[in-house]
Amino acid sequence: MRVSNVIRTLQRQLHSPASRGTINASEIAHFSRLSSQWWDEQGEFAFLHRMNPVRVEFIKNKLLEVSREGGEEGMPSSTVLRDLDVLDVGCGGGLLSESLARLGANTLGIDASESNVKIATLHASADPKLRNLTYINAPAESLLDSPKRYDVVCSMEVLEHVDNPASFLSTCAELVKPGGHLFLSTISRTPLAYFLTIFLAEDILRKVSPGTHTYSKFITPTELISFFQKYRSSDSNAVDPRYLEHVTLPKAWISPNASPASPPRTEAEVRGLIYHPLRGQWLLAPRDAWAATDANYIFWVRKPSQ
Amino acid sequence: MTLPLALGTSSAHRLTAKRLLASTSCPRRFSTAQNEPHEECDVVIVGGGPAGLTLASALGSSRIASQNLRVTLVEGGDLSKVKQWSPPSGTYSNRVSSLTNASQTFLKAIGAWTHVDTHRTAPIEEMQVWDGVSDARITFSASEIGLERPQDGMARLTENFNLQRGLLRHLEHLPGVRLIERTKVKSIIRDAEDQGGWPLVHLDNGRVLRARLLVGADGFNSPVRSYAQIPSFGWTYETQGIVATMVHPPRGPFQGPNTTAYQRFLPTGPIAFLPLSPTVSSLVWSTRPRIASALTAFEPGVLASMINAAFRLPEISLRYLYNRIIEAHSTGTPLTHAELQQEILWREQSHAIDANSAYASAIVNVIGDAGVPAADSESVPPLVTSLQPGTVATFPLRFSHTESYIGEGQGSRTVLVGDAAHIVHPLAGQGLNMGLADVECLTRCIENALEQGGDVGSYTALLPYARERYFENHTLMAAIDKVHKLYTTTFEPIVWTRTVGVEVLNELDSVKTALMMTAGARDHKINESAVGWNLAAKGVESLAAGVNAARVVGGGIREMIGTGLQEVLKATSARPRSERD
Ligand SMILES: Cc1cc2nc3c(=O)[nH]c(=O)nc-3n(C[C@H](O)[C@H](O)[C@H](O)COP(=O)(O)OP(=O)(O)OC[C@H]3O[C@@H](n4cnc5c(N)ncnc54)[C@H](O)[C@@H]3O)c2cc1C
Repeated sequence: MRVSNVIRTLQRQLHSPASRGTINASEIAHFSRLSSQWWDEQGEFAFLHRMNPVRVEFIKNKLLEVSREGGEEGMPSSTVLRDLDVLDVGCGGGLLSESLARLGANTLGIDASESNVKIATLHASADPKLRNLTYINAPAESLLDSPKRYDVVCSMEVLEHVDNPASFLSTCAELVKPGGHLFLSTISRTPLAYFLTIFLAEDILRKVSPGTHTYSKFITPTELISFFQKYRSSDSNAVDPRYLEHVTLPKAWISPNASPASPPRTEAEVRGLIYHPLRGQWLLAPRDAWAATDANYIFWVRKPSQ
Repeated sequence: MTLPLALGTSSAHRLTAKRLLASTSCPRRFSTAQNEPHEECDVVIVGGGPAGLTLASALGSSRIASQNLRVTLVEGGDLSKVKQWSPPSGTYSNRVSSLTNASQTFLKAIGAWTHVDTHRTAPIEEMQVWDGVSDARITFSASEIGLERPQDGMARLTENFNLQRGLLRHLEHLPGVRLIERTKVKSIIRDAEDQGGWPLVHLDNGRVLRARLLVGADGFNSPVRSYAQIPSFGWTYETQGIVATMVHPPRGPFQGPNTTAYQRFLPTGPIAFLPLSPTVSSLVWSTRPRIASALTAFEPGVLASMINAAFRLPEISLRYLYNRIIEAHSTGTPLTHAELQQEILWREQSHAIDANSAYASAIVNVIGDAGVPAADSESVPPLVTSLQPGTVATFPLRFSHTESYIGEGQGSRTVLVGDAAHIVHPLAGQGLNMGLADVECLTRCIENALEQGGDVGSYTALLPYARERYFENHTLMAAIDKVHKLYTTTFEPIVWTRTVGVEVLNELDSVKTALMMTAGARDHKINESAVGWNLAAKGVESLAAGVNAARVVGGGIREMIGTGLQEVLKATSARPRSERD
């Protein structure tokens, strides 16, 4: 009797959105305090404002590459996002969401912090051009209840703040349409990253509020790749277990036998984001540049299309 | 979107609904701040001078910018007059600028240059610059600095009206740009904070434009700069610039064409002769206000004679002549052209200047033209015989640089270009070129922001513009200002070295370098030009050391300076050219 109770509780936990939450309450409080500063381009989030164009560039280039592989030639790079359904998980003040919407994507920004969503909505409402942009205040997991899936799911600088990265990654992955794209940017767990983001940025320069980052939550590119070598899409209209042996299991997103250091180019890519102090700009490090992914990096993986 | 979720908060919902309401009606909206209807604009450019019109053309002809942005230009003056400008043949406007190759390349790239009447422009193939006290001289030519097409000159003299008319003609073909002329910006007010605090531009005809990005191309008294509360620093030079269109006989058959620009650095300020056609050239004479008002007070022949004298007579005699005309002016005594010519003749005789020398101007020997010219004839400009009626004008000259090119905080979403941001002494002919380089850079930054889904009014989108242009303009302005100060000083040690010629040659070198830095067609990337400047500075330094050594040895200074500088210039102008994309 006791055992079955435990199982039932576990099952409930697994299926109710609330308990599937990966968001840490103290993290949300922290960002709520900061959210009014989101759009101060010279304030605490200056680095995000500066980094944003580089992320967009990466997203566009990746989509362009894939569309070229699919035989679509001559698409101008500024239209590659047009009319795609895009989800920005952990949209914050809406920096990335606004850019994606301006490039023509039907964009949904979602954030667990109510004040972030307020700030983002308020900011976008001043801009008559942002009509294809919506924000909601909810955890990403709640979207799983709706059948809607996205061509592109992005989650920038969020992974390092979540409590249960594996569950968070599964949620993001599940929201991607077959053949769609998942983009993540985060900070690696290396001595360099510790030095730059916690010691230098928070403690010494105070460019970022102390407490913004927790070193142990940082995730390395290899860990991300390994995750997607094991991860298989589980569709919501799941196959009845009785027929399981008659269907082929969904493919892993990244070939399991590839080296996690260099995943196949058509399946995933990791690129370092490097700050160039003289130009005051973030730059995308060249592919395979030495130690380039030791601090901030951006990751792309594609969901198998079958 | 049908999601089983509440849509944000009630206030967020309200805002979204309001936005949708606005979008379904028309681009007119009611702002909570003013409760006045206003028009949504992406880019509002205030000012239809050369800088503003070029920006409008550049944005209108850029594919990505024209697809994404509605551009509105507001000008207080009558642009249709400029568009219909058709001067009688052989006559020229007195506002002329030397457009560098870099500026021309940009104007070609945006498709505007084909609308400029190039028959009315003239290349500068050679420049002669000399010191009014020591007569130390530097000559430099387009062929010597390794330009790809030396026959096109180092720069092209172009009437401002010719350029503006060309830009307006080009704009006729660009539907994405709207011109509002004969309309002044009355005031600029910041929209309510919950509306994003965008600038609301109030026009004197009652219309209100809401700007995502507000560009101040509105000249020295920039209303956009006042709105953005960008301080500027600077001073007026105790100097007026006299401009005029000068008429002169063509160069003789044994002389070169009229493609040499002349500039003499007098202690009162430089005087420049800029060729426009074989028989017409443009004057820019910077001098003390008292002299300027006296020079322009009498019949035009007086000014014409003084121009000829100012390029020829020793400085001491010029001082005498200034005093003569100032006295006549202040006492109200008339001074005729003939009387002045007589004075000049006496001065020439007292300096033993031969009447056949090119340095003589008192007796204009018109028939002499057909004969063999004096050996020194090409070291001074042709003799001015008259001034085109109605072309004499004076401007106060000043130095002014704003502390920033982009507005922040309460003045956000603003950016300054051209004279609204910086004003320099015209001695290097760079004012407008700097403005065009601003426009080129700003256009590039706007295109980049659009490519990346950025908000073109945001600080992030505009920051690269400020970073690139501020440093480059500042370096050039500082060099020009330094040259001006050095030449107008009466401080004894400097005047002494000036007569010795060493300091002068060095400084003329930096003038030359300053002029040459911008002569070639090149891009305006900060790092490359920084390299250029360092190289140039180094070159001038090592030349200075060389000059001292050479002085001991005696002689050969000029040759040495010449070759040394050429090396520097070759190194700086041989940089790879970049394509506009
Ligand atoms: C004597 C002299 C010689 C020069 N020679 C050279 C040269 O050889 N080479 C060179 O490169 N440069 C030269 N310059 C400098 C050059 O002329 C200027 O840099 C150039 O004209 C500046 O252009 P702009 O478009 O920035 O500003 P402007 O030409 O000043 O245009 C500003 C415009 O804004 C409009 N405006 C202002 N306020 C309002 C308002 N409230 N509402 C609506 N409209 C408004 C004005 O009507 C005006 O049309 C010279 C300058 C002088 C004085």
